[in-house]
Amino acid sequence: MTSRQLLGRLLGRWETLLLVAIVGVGAWSATLSPFFLHRANLLDLVTPYVFIGLIAFGLAFVVIAGEIDISVVSTLAVSVVSFAQLVQAGVNVWLAALAGLGVATALGLGNGLLVGVLNLPSLAVTLGTLAAYQGLAFVILSGEGVSSFPAGYLRVGGGYIGNELPIPLLVLLGLAVVLGLLLHATRFGRYVFTIGANREAARFSGVPVARVRVTVFCLSGLMAGIAGVFVYVGYFGSARADAGQGQLLDVVTAVVLGGVDIFGGVGSIAGVLLALVLVAELRNGMQLANLPGDLQNIVIGGLLLAAIVSGNLIRAAQAGGLRIPGLGLRRKEVIAADAEAGVPVNPTVETRQGG
Amino acid sequence: MKGKRLLVLLSLVAIAALAAGLAAGVGSAGESRANPTGKSYKIFFLPKFIGIGVFTENGKGGKEAGKELGDTVVYNGPTEPVGAKQVPFIESAVRQGFDAIVISAPDANAVAPALLRARARGVKVVSYDGDVRPDAREIFVSPPLASDIGAFQVEWLGSQIGYKGEFAILSATPTAANQNTWIKWMKVALKKPKYRNMKLVKIAYGNDKPVDSARETQALLQAYPNLKGIIAPTTVGISAAAQVLSQEGACGKVALTGLGLPNEMRKFVKKGCARKFGLWNERDFGYLAVYVAHHVLDGTITGKIGETFKAGRLGTRQVVNCAGVKPCVVLGKPLVFTPQNIDKFNF
Repeated sequence: MTSRQLLGRLLGRWETLLLVAIVGVGAWSATLSPFFLHRANLLDLVTPYVFIGLIAFGLAFVVIAGEIDISVVSTLAVSVVSFAQLVQAGVNVWLAALAGLGVATALGLGNGLLVGVLNLPSLAVTLGTLAAYQGLAFVILSGEGVSSFPAGYLRVGGGYIGNELPIPLLVLLGLAVVLGLLLHATRFGRYVFTIGANREAARFSGVPVARVRVTVFCLSGLMAGIAGVFVYVGYFGSARADAGQGQLLDVVTAVVLGGVDIFGGVGSIAGVLLALVLVAELRNGMQLANLPGDLQNIVIGGLLLAAIVSGNLIRAAQAGGLRIPGLGLRRKEVIAADAEAGVPVNPTVETRQGG
Repeated sequence: MKGKRLLVLLSLVAIAALAAGLAAGVGSAGESRANPTGKSYKIFFLPKFIGIGVFTENGKGGKEAGKELGDTVVYNGPTEPVGAKQVPFIESAVRQGFDAIVISAPDANAVAPALLRARARGVKVVSYDGDVRPDAREIFVSPPLASDIGAFQVEWLGSQIGYKGEFAILSATPTAANQNTWIKWMKVALKKPKYRNMKLVKIAYGNDKPVDSARETQALLQAYPNLKGIIAPTTVGISAAAQVLSQEGACGKVALTGLGLPNEMRKFVKKGCARKFGLWNERDFGYLAVYVAHHVLDGTITGKIGETFKAGRLGTRQVVNCAGVKPCVVLGKPLVFTPQNIDKFNF
């Protein structure tokens, strides 16, 4: 492969586009507000959205496997209130946190069994559990909620090192590395992609489809639990049954803007992380400029739409034939299929109609 | 695979560049302090959420006060009443060097850590309408006392239904602190002999959303055929309930009262769907909150019970203890709207 091809391949990657967007939005924000480029601001701008990012990491696995889990925000609520009730009952705060994670994973397992074993559609299943888990959260803890936790515990999700470096940011980056390795460098990760690309083919090639699908939902639950018990509680200092309400849109935005294909089979943790940074940066810049909240939503919504449209255009180009030599925009499967059909892999012809 | 490795490399370079940028950052932000000598302050006015009449009106009052005092008042907030979504606005206000934050919180606790960080940097915090955790603010500006708001609404309903029959409450969310306090005081008022024939059958929650509130109202009408009245202590709830009563032809059969905005309720008042309801002057509320913030900043208000200060056209006000919530400044008594007086109000 020549270096030109390599460069082309890089430029065609979604993550590269996100990086460019981050730099662009940063430049725009700096002109919007003189406070944007301050070190403390740059370090802190992702912090309020760390819990969103953690949920989005878990959800990315589910979506790459070709499913959806919209119950994640309710899972967060249940894990948070279970944790709070245990702490109130006098259980050691770390044990209670562990139990909260257990509860979250169990709720994910519930979704996983319904989708992976009973083969029910995940949108319907998790729409149901979105409501059911939310109700459960109110059953476990209704009213004003709990806000007294040991200060040492709250540091994990809300502390700062040297008054500037937010600990939750480190949690986010650390988990991004762990989950990135899990998704991109393990057999399990490969299975997730394979199932998302073509579930039947995966089954015939010996992938333990049911087990992997159940596992991704457990992972999604666990991540919602970590986001809730450690980061949400730590950063906001509040455990209530309505924790996470109104946040689903942001979670899905991070996943879709992160380049995860909603039809499965494509995506990366790095993309989700970069998308989270982009959204956080954009909101931060607009807030520092005191742009009205509704206008901010319009901008974020527009960005999401633009991402979906351009993502689909790129994919259409990959699958359909808009082939630019050296850009390597096409999916490997398509190239392989073309090779079988006798189409030259790296033609000099620029365009081809149809698939 | 090589491409991927190069991508990783490129990302690393980008991150390193970013980090270098960070290290070379122009300086640290948020070194704001209330200027003890100057008379002009920057005040950030943060409602529960923007886009509804009440908060818009609060904001107008706040800006009016700012104009009189020579202060800069910026009004902004999230579009949903979610505490977690207020936090970035608090952080942003601190970074921009605002001297004070005036806040109405949907979740008293979720904003507390951010407000504590703000206070640690010298920013003064005044809560109004929806209070925050007491250690996270200097002072609370209270709407008419919760005991008055609770008792007045029971009386407004009672006087419409002859102090007899079943009624329900249509609230916002089960976690809304102000709603729960008012409901508690309604229950206290109901213990008076005058109201002994009025029976509270259900507290429904419409989440401060029109659609949910309308659905809950319909459910109440179906579940309780003998329902004589509804108290909706939320402006979103009462207008949704009025709409449903009007559509179902139940105006006059089921009395409606609560807290509503004159502009939203005017047509229902004229139709007889809500003949008596109340609120307080929302513009005065925001106006008073900014006056309090200003006087906290200039040192007139330190938080001692009994201190007095001048609040522009609202006259001299006093720092008091509001039924355990202290220090506190009270707006006044509730206002009642009837077909006779509603046209005098425009908010």
